[in-house]
Amino acid sequence: MPVDVSGGGLATADKYYQDYGSRARELKKQGQRIMGYLCALTPVEIIAAAGFVPFRIKGDVNEPITKADTEMETIVCPLVRSCFDMLLKGKYEFLDGIVIPHACDSITRSYSTISYSLGLSYSHFINIPHTTKDISKEFFKAELDTFRKSLGRFAGKEISDESLVQAIQLHNENKAKVRELYQFRKSDPPLTSGTEVTKVLVAAMGLPVGEANELLDGVIDEIKKRAGPPAKKSPRIMVVGAEVDDIAFIKLIEDSGASVVVDSMCVGTRDYFFDVDIGQHPVDSIADYYLRKLNCPRTYREWTGETYEEDLEARFGDIGGFIKEFKVDGVILYLLKYCDPFGFEVPARIKYIQSLDIPVLYIEDEYSMSTIARLRTRIQAFLEVLTR
Amino acid sequence: MQEQKWPEKYPIEGKRGRKYGTVAAMKIGPMVKAAIGSSVEAQQEGKDIAYAFIECNYDEILRAMDIVPVWTENYAGICGAKRDAQRFLERAESLNFSRSLCTYALCGLGFDEWREELGEMPPDAPWGGQARPKVMLSSGQILCDPRNKWYQAAQQFQPDVPIYNLTGLYPIYEYDVDLHEVEGYYAKYMTEDLRDLVKFLEEHFHKKIDWDRLWETLKLADDTTDLHVECRELRKTLPTPMDTGDAMNCMVPQAFMMGTQEAYNFYRDLRDELKYKVEHKLGVIENEKYRLVWAGGLPSWFALTDFNYFWSKGAVFPVESTYNEQVYPVRELDLPKTDDPLEYMAWRWIRRWTYWYDKAKKRPGSEPDVERTINYIQQYNIDGIVVHEAFSCRSWHVGLIWLLNQIAKIYKHIPVLILGKGKTKEELYRKVPSLILESDIIDISSYSEADTRARIDAFIDTLEAVKSRGK
Repeated sequence: MPVDVSGGGLATADKYYQDYGSRARELKKQGQRIMGYLCALTPVEIIAAAGFVPFRIKGDVNEPITKADTEMETIVCPLVRSCFDMLLKGKYEFLDGIVIPHACDSITRSYSTISYSLGLSYSHFINIPHTTKDISKEFFKAELDTFRKSLGRFAGKEISDESLVQAIQLHNENKAKVRELYQFRKSDPPLTSGTEVTKVLVAAMGLPVGEANELLDGVIDEIKKRAGPPAKKSPRIMVVGAEVDDIAFIKLIEDSGASVVVDSMCVGTRDYFFDVDIGQHPVDSIADYYLRKLNCPRTYREWTGETYEEDLEARFGDIGGFIKEFKVDGVILYLLKYCDPFGFEVPARIKYIQSLDIPVLYIEDEYSMSTIARLRTRIQAFLEVLTR
Repeated sequence: MQEQKWPEKYPIEGKRGRKYGTVAAMKIGPMVKAAIGSSVEAQQEGKDIAYAFIECNYDEILRAMDIVPVWTENYAGICGAKRDAQRFLERAESLNFSRSLCTYALCGLGFDEWREELGEMPPDAPWGGQARPKVMLSSGQILCDPRNKWYQAAQQFQPDVPIYNLTGLYPIYEYDVDLHEVEGYYAKYMTEDLRDLVKFLEEHFHKKIDWDRLWETLKLADDTTDLHVECRELRKTLPTPMDTGDAMNCMVPQAFMMGTQEAYNFYRDLRDELKYKVEHKLGVIENEKYRLVWAGGLPSWFALTDFNYFWSKGAVFPVESTYNEQVYPVRELDLPKTDDPLEYMAWRWIRRWTYWYDKAKKRPGSEPDVERTINYIQQYNIDGIVVHEAFSCRSWHVGLIWLLNQIAKIYKHIPVLILGKGKTKEELYRKVPSLILESDIIDISSYSEADTRARIDAFIDTLEAVKSRGK
């Protein structure tokens, strides 16, 4: 049965958000095979083309990490630890396998721990180069082919080019619908809140892409019908960071009197604002997307300009573009502790954002509801500065 | 008990409390100090200097091109060992770098920012300071985000210094993928990446590489590694002539001087010393009670005397995993024949990183790191495992709990006699006891001597209990 949005897209999103994984569990009972994955760097198109439902594993900020700490060091990114904790506690017991990309040290180093501890029938690690040069892309294509063959063996069928193209198209539609949803955030005040959008995106990442598209259609229809919100203007905030898979932080900002109008993070613009190209060989397109288009700091981008400022523009220009496009008043740079790829960029990101005359607040958090009260005070102080 | 008689040639090191260290290890401090001093001089003379990381497979290229490497991790380690890292760490923190990041990197970034602000070395910089580079050579590999990001972050203070990032990937261990089906495209990638690196260095330093000289440098480096392997093999002896406390010093030529005659001479002398000690049964300590493996993690550079504490309890470390990832002889790697030194380097790199892969596949539940540790336990007659978890480094300190758990699950080799009712005797096998130490590589604020030693005491008690219950 497809996603039922007759009661309203947002209500459906809320249902799947609150009980994340419930739809995958239903599908498993119906005989579908579910492939778990971590991080936006996993080429979900290949998983879908093999006939699996790609299911993004998420953590839970409300659940204290307990079981994971007996098998994984506490110096690992808390989001990864929480994901592992959820897996160990049987929250995603419906998974047939797991795919982990070469993202950051926390994810890479956890591969053995996660794959062995779960005892799943299938696990695979995809190596991704750190540079975007042509030789890196050629290597990456070969590595994607290895994954394609490996997953094909597990699926019991070869993954055809046609099925890859079809999966790319479906995921591109998904990205386009998310971009359409973001358009509602451009008005002042925005037609939809950051909390709602985050909830929808998180719910969608636990659904088969076709159903995620239906969900997004339902949400977009619902928001379209909304009358303009009361004209109470509030500071327009952009959140920049690694991964947020929960509404807690976004809601905190909005409950403090601001509107989160755009982001540069996962789950958000980083994984939805660029398409995988159609028209060239599908593996070529997928390699190009995950190596070059997906702008994650774990990938080093060679200088293309002459000056350091030009390098910052090349690395963070998308943030500047969103600031203008969504009329952002202030940026909150939000990272989790032990995030190495982003952590080393904090001073450069702050420098870049400030060069645009946009105030920026940097927060390092722990992926737990226990920090909310402390964060509220800092956010309120920042908003006060913005409204002066 | 008769006291060991020590020859004059290899005297007991009385200084600094390291009682029975090798004479070779005593040379390391002056060697490193001289290397750092010469890099500072090289800067003053306008020579070609590159920031570099250890084990990145570009050492011989730098040596063959007369480029002076400044090993930034090494300098941070020295700041830590001299207990003078805090001011640089704090400076980095004040720049908005989180204290949870790699403290080597934070130390280096704090130092660089200070040096660039002053236009000269920070006051009282350990051993003269860290020379300003003309290029920086990053390397992400599969692990170590800091090596991928550190120099990019340093460009904020020295934007005129270009970066070359040598990715340096090797295949990760997978059950369902045959290593030999994928290593070809890894080697091709590495070869081309090395070729681009050479072009980059030639362009920036306005000189051409001499390929014959590179071959000679590779030969010298391989011979050096062979000597280093020989040293490791000699440490199997009971009593062991050298332990991990020394190895954490003696890794310096392997990590920072490969492709130099100095490194070769060092391991030749160390090999000779160890041979002599083996022949004369001169052990690190007089009465070895427990033989331990240091199975993972970098040491706390400011607390190397913890090894002395182990010695005082009758425990020695004949072997360690740390800094041994690339220490395998070329003849065991079955490298494809090639006339291209860069292709040779690529294959050597990959085959060394994957040295344990085929062996691990033969043991259900094993993995390369697990297999290597089990091999050490067997070959070096090991009674217990020690790992160190440094809070700021995810590259080498994540997966250690899993490693211990997995070894405990698949490898129980210590015989224990259980006396049952009616005086029955049952022989069981139990897992190798293990100890996790927690601190950091250079951030001394994370360290508690009392806590560390209490853990060591408890571990020794466990080892003793296991021994007394054995046959």
